[in-house]
Amino acid sequence: MKRLPGALRQGLIRCHDCGALAKQETVPHPCPVCGSPLQARIPDSLTRTMAFLLSGYALYVPANLFPIMTVTRFGVGEPHTILGGILALIDGEMLPIAILVFIASILVPLLKLLGLTLLWLCVFYRWQVNARRWTLMYRMIAFVGRWSMLDIFMISILISLVDLGGVAQVLAGPAATAFAAVVVITLFAAKSFDPRLIWDHQTHDERRIRLRNPRRLAE
Amino acid sequence: MRARPKLQLEACPECDALLRPAALVDGDKAHCPRCGFLLQRAQKNSIERSLALSVAGLLLFVPANCLPLVGIKFLGNAKDGILLSGVAALYGEGMWAVATLVFLSSMLFPLVNILLSLAISLHLYLNRPNRYLRHWMRWLQHLDEWAMLEVYTLGIIVACVKLSSMADLHFGLGLYAFVGLLLVTVALAASLDRTLFWQRIDALRRKPA
Repeated sequence: MKRLPGALRQGLIRCHDCGALAKQETVPHPCPVCGSPLQARIPDSLTRTMAFLLSGYALYVPANLFPIMTVTRFGVGEPHTILGGILALIDGEMLPIAILVFIASILVPLLKLLGLTLLWLCVFYRWQVNARRWTLMYRMIAFVGRWSMLDIFMISILISLVDLGGVAQVLAGPAATAFAAVVVITLFAAKSFDPRLIWDHQTHDERRIRLRNPRRLAE
Repeated sequence: MRARPKLQLEACPECDALLRPAALVDGDKAHCPRCGFLLQRAQKNSIERSLALSVAGLLLFVPANCLPLVGIKFLGNAKDGILLSGVAALYGEGMWAVATLVFLSSMLFPLVNILLSLAISLHLYLNRPNRYLRHWMRWLQHLDEWAMLEVYTLGIIVACVKLSSMADLHFGLGLYAFVGLLLVTVALAASLDRTLFWQRIDALRRKPA
């Protein structure tokens, strides 16, 4: 049974950009392969992640309360919030698209914020968890985040096409800026979180994996 | 005479497990045994493919940006939309922050990614050292996740479905170029084997001039 030690425990630092390993003693110097600064873990990872998360939560409120766009038909304006736009899609009998927009604009940002908060708590309070599963959760959060930009792109296309003066016009609302900020901020939050911190605090990670997944580690 | 290979190790970027790199055959995937992270996907002719795909991407970038993507006809009014017109409309409404974000993620970063991939793979293909290679590679890795052509494509689809009930839509030539560009950039991201590229960049740097 081969144990898998963490590189840092062996005095080695993985370069964040090129993946080269360097001895810990080289630290004030940049990576010899790619020239980026060597850091064992993302510096101030928890502090930065929490700062982004709090701003994300704060902006999530105006993003959902204010209208994200206003549809004007024959001079009559009709502001839509994100949820209102989804309801309009359901009324128009476009249920699959409504579900898609609901997932991308409401579910994903919220689950991202909550999931990253859980990960943050897990590292901060040194919970003993199935680190493999929690790393998978982090990976999924980091992957799905970009798809929330869907609503922003859709609005930019709508307002450029539907610009027919008094007949029909779509204007972007104040929530668009807030929502775009939520997406960017949660992307930054996911980027500043270092999943290796989950593993650093596990005292029995090798044994846990061996119990649950005997074949993975056997060489 | 066979040179004895130096003991090389690698570490998983997501769980820091210290690993001995597997010798991959083309098409193989290496996963971290501890956390399951996809460490490397070995590609056949990674450098040549990346070079070819970045040239194709550059060629498609021009029509995808200059030709109309979607046109709309509504009560006798007709309007065509190109990629930039969405950005311009946002900017015109005073939403410069959102306009900048859309411009960066749908136009500038995809272009910069293609140019960087082209520059790097061309240098590796010709075996030409360049002291900026490692900086380009770093930029490419950092900018990669901010290019969101695939999300933009989904945005076009959703916008078209929304409009289809109230107006006549027609798809322009630019849309075909745009979808082509999307496919090329996805293939480019898959064919560019970062581990291999870093090894080659490091080897070129050590090569005596």
